[in-house]
Amino acid sequence: MRSLWHHADEIPVTLVVVLAYVSLAFVTGLAEPDAERLAAYGWLTPLLAADGEPWRLLTHAFLHGGLVHLAFNGYMLLQVGPALERSLGSLRFLALYAAAAIGGGVAVCLLYPVEQPIVGGSGALFGLLGAAVAVLVRSGRHALEFLTFDGPRALLSLIAVNLLIGWILPFVSNTAHLGGLATGFVVTLLWLAPPRQPSPRFRQWRAATAALFAALLFASLFPVVRHDWLWNQGVRTADADRRERLQRAAVMAWSGRDHASEADVLRFYRLVVDPDAPRPR
Amino acid sequence: MADAAPPPVVRGPRVPAALPLAALWTAAAVPFVLGAVHLADPELAVRLHQAGSAWARHALAALALAAAVALLLLPPARAGLRLAVAQAQRRLSTDRAPLARALGELQHFESPARHLEVGRLAVQCGETERALVHLRRALELDPRLPAAHHLAGRVLLRAGHLAQARQHFLAAEQLEPGHAFGDALLHAGRAAARLGRHDEAVRLLTEHQGRHGGSAQSQLWLGDALATAGDHAGARHAWRQAAAPPAGQASAEANWYRALARVRLWRHGGSA
Repeated sequence: MRSLWHHADEIPVTLVVVLAYVSLAFVTGLAEPDAERLAAYGWLTPLLAADGEPWRLLTHAFLHGGLVHLAFNGYMLLQVGPALERSLGSLRFLALYAAAAIGGGVAVCLLYPVEQPIVGGSGALFGLLGAAVAVLVRSGRHALEFLTFDGPRALLSLIAVNLLIGWILPFVSNTAHLGGLATGFVVTLLWLAPPRQPSPRFRQWRAATAALFAALLFASLFPVVRHDWLWNQGVRTADADRRERLQRAAVMAWSGRDHASEADVLRFYRLVVDPDAPRPR
Repeated sequence: MADAAPPPVVRGPRVPAALPLAALWTAAAVPFVLGAVHLADPELAVRLHQAGSAWARHALAALALAAAVALLLLPPARAGLRLAVAQAQRRLSTDRAPLARALGELQHFESPARHLEVGRLAVQCGETERALVHLRRALELDPRLPAAHHLAGRVLLRAGHLAQARQHFLAAEQLEPGHAFGDALLHAGRAAARLGRHDEAVRLLTEHQGRHGGSAQSQLWLGDALATAGDHAGARHAWRQAAAPPAGQASAEANWYRALARVRLWRHGGSA
């Protein structure tokens, strides 16, 4: 701890992120966080992210669901962050943390139930682990040279064990972990630690992966084939014809059929829009 | 041939390397296309997504089924898997530092030998486009470099430029008979066979066997050339030689050619 304090000028981003973790934990409730406060301060649900609140893709990575969650993620950040920040530089480290958090959030938006909230920096932390692997891949004479050393092998074991824990514990989001891991690895491999002698295809890979990331971000913020988003768009549209078409599309997206019958509309309304209404026979 | 200018080297189509990039661009285009369709007709966007998802599920199921059937029916499946793993391992563990060093040295002083070295290291690292540029420059500076002809032939053969590859292999063999332990002659025979010059292929591959001894690879290719030329008995003999169990542990490549020879024998009514 004293060492961290003495080298604070070298790792400002790591320390600021830890500070943000702790201060937001106090604001939202340290032992038992208040759900309303977590929602107000930026938890992520696919529904809210697509409903005009895209900042939740980033803010959820600074909130935590209790003391144990905070302690685990804070410890992990202090273990991985300083070395990586010194290696990449503070600005690049900040960009990496943000990109990995957004990558984890995008994965959640694309694959999770629309109203399922998530909080926690673990997606971004997995991004840091992926970035560490990418730095090791780049630092050796060849891509797999790092496997000959014990430390890097232990890093891979750490990632595997954490993913295993995520699969075992139902309240841990491995979707966000994998999204963050992949984003951190790719961003570092292609942008933050490029090869000294890039191959002629390197720029093409950069462009294609950037386009894919933009497309996934677009799909999570404008899910034009997701029923909740279509319904909300319809509700807000003044044009009656457009509204009807959007709501029919919402029913089609929900039912999985290529048309919306009256019965489907009725069921959709009772089961999705107004859950308290009695189920139709 | 020795004094003639080298044939122009053209970049190959590199289809396998372009495939993942094409897949990425296609995947990236889908959300934007659906977004554009949504602006015009939201129901059509949903229909397209449903149809696309169903199609993708069916395609994936068909692919999985085809892979399972191939694994069951095709004898080289295991050998192919071993070869793919060995190639991936080699590619990921190829030391790139010598290439960077050689490129650095080339900035200070240009010579055919240095271009050849960069080309050789680039081929090792799987950078065939970079390799072609440097091999072409090496041949411009010194058209009598057999190793540059040989490597350029290998790269062009992989890219599908068979006629140019054949010319390079023949040039290498003419400049230095037996170059690379007969590899130039062997691949000249292979390029001729793939060009449909079966008699020439048989002549070159037989000559290779006579001078350098047979390997699973050369026997297989000779068998293929003989079969295409109409000599089925000779082909079966060559394939049988290729499919013979090795004395010791065979490399992944030799194992692959041996497995292919067994398939040829199985299809053409012979046995290993």
